[in-house]
Amino acid sequence: MSNVLVILEAVGDDLAAISRELLGKGRQLADALGGSLAALAIGPTTAVAARAGQFGADQVYTVNAPALAQYTTDGYVAAAMAAVQACNPALILAGTSFQMRDFGAALATDLNAGLVVDATDLQVEDGAIRATRPSHGGNVINTYRFAAGKPVVALVRKQSFPEATAQPDRRAPVTELAVANLNPRTEVHAVAPKAGAVNLTDAAIIVTGGRGLGNKDNYYRLIPPLAEALGGAYGASRAIVDDGWVPYEHQVGQTGKTVSPKLYIAAGVSGAIQHLAGMRTSRTIVAINKDPDAPIFRIATLGVVGDVNEILPLLTEEIKARLNR
Amino acid sequence: MHIVVCLKQVPRDNSVKIRPDLTIDAEGIEKIINLFDEYALEEGIRWNEQHGGKVTALSIGTSEWVEQLRRALAMGATDALLLSDPDFAQLDTIAAARVAAAAIRKLGDVDVVITGRNSTDDESGAFAPALARLLGWPQLTYVGKVLELQPGGSIKVERHLENVIETVSCRLPAVMSVIKDINEPRYPSLLKIKRVAKIEPPVWTASDLGLNAADLAPAAQLAERVPPPPRPKGEMIDGPDAAAKVRKLVDKLLEYQVI
Repeated sequence: MSNVLVILEAVGDDLAAISRELLGKGRQLADALGGSLAALAIGPTTAVAARAGQFGADQVYTVNAPALAQYTTDGYVAAAMAAVQACNPALILAGTSFQMRDFGAALATDLNAGLVVDATDLQVEDGAIRATRPSHGGNVINTYRFAAGKPVVALVRKQSFPEATAQPDRRAPVTELAVANLNPRTEVHAVAPKAGAVNLTDAAIIVTGGRGLGNKDNYYRLIPPLAEALGGAYGASRAIVDDGWVPYEHQVGQTGKTVSPKLYIAAGVSGAIQHLAGMRTSRTIVAINKDPDAPIFRIATLGVVGDVNEILPLLTEEIKARLNR
Repeated sequence: MHIVVCLKQVPRDNSVKIRPDLTIDAEGIEKIINLFDEYALEEGIRWNEQHGGKVTALSIGTSEWVEQLRRALAMGATDALLLSDPDFAQLDTIAAARVAAAAIRKLGDVDVVITGRNSTDDESGAFAPALARLLGWPQLTYVGKVLELQPGGSIKVERHLENVIETVSCRLPAVMSVIKDINEPRYPSLLKIKRVAKIEPPVWTASDLGLNAADLAPAAQLAERVPPPPRPKGEMIDGPDAAAKVRKLVDKLLEYQVI
């Protein structure tokens, strides 16, 4: 038991970025364990299965059946079990999305395996897996050591590892696995795009507004235009979501979304600990607030003390002018 | 219909400290019902008001947890149950699900288990799926809306994922986890809070549940627990007026290559 198995995800006709991250890290870990790297493509993802070889997999498994056209816990767990039987992995890697949390925890339970969710680092030490994950809104960084002899399911936080680079001439055999009696107990009737979906989690730039804006009209007058000028998404503090200014979809923080963009602009956000929990790992944090003692300034890379209602329109114009937008 | 709502007690915020023995120190921070579990509780209470039966608020923890169970009773839960044992002190999520599953099996007549999408302290979201697999029931996670509920029959819900909404159904019994959007939890009235203040919920221990040390053992050892690395010290942008500050800010953003 020294192999590593990566659960692949696809975006359109290509492997998802998280899968390239996992193949890169999985390759390293498989080498450290003295095993090989396998990848599993389930359902529609089988179309891109062959790509996994170019990114480091030694063996690719596919499981395809009409019942796997959509995600179901039962279907995906059954498919993963077939691959687990085929390669007996010490470590199973998947990304951390809502769907993968649903899947990974179910798989770990069925396998009586170890489980780590939101892993930001993985290592092999004396043949055992060590996994690091934040908890308590990023205020605590935990490192767990899993005893060898039992598999570990690790769901990895996006952008934790560099993506593997393609080696165009590299190939891995693709083997189709059969799963008998695939009969998911949940039935998917429809999958609809979310109206006004905001992919805050994937956005490279996020502009977030808070109560300092004064009212809902100011929020919509100032925050979305700045986000648009920067080609980013817009977020909101819990306070203004609770006040009904902005839908919950936009909420950043402990009970909203956890984000880690390259640029996070917090405008009129005081920086309650619940808010910081959702954005503290952003690369560059800009805080604009009229209160120089606002806690947000303690974690800001760049701080501007001033009235958001005065600064934001100027900032949007300046950015449009400088970026020629 | 018997609904079980699984509640976890958490600190109101995450400004916790780490003790030398690596346990979490949340002293001095108010303890509350995990926010997402409060939505689960409200959902269970509403179904119960509509369909009749009972709603059991279930929690794993020390006697301190009784406060949250009383709050659940004041909100409208009909029963409360505490699973408490010194051996439950260091449960990981799957072991906690094992404890809850044993209790739900012992209750015997449960139609549905509702819980929050994750706890705000551990944040893994693994409890509901683990519980469902251990019970052998289907799971519906990240539910933002219940479309149909036929007691003794089936349930149809919307699962609210990052970018899509799935409409999914399954037969009962089932385990469901809910998101914040699903309802607006009620505040219990003072009268109700007073009425439940003396209630001592039944307590079941590991031996009541037939659980042994192997069932409760964590899958991993905590090797290290540290605060996050400090962020590099920030820079305040000064200037004679707002326009000057804004120009300087944009200079910096271009210099940092983030725009």
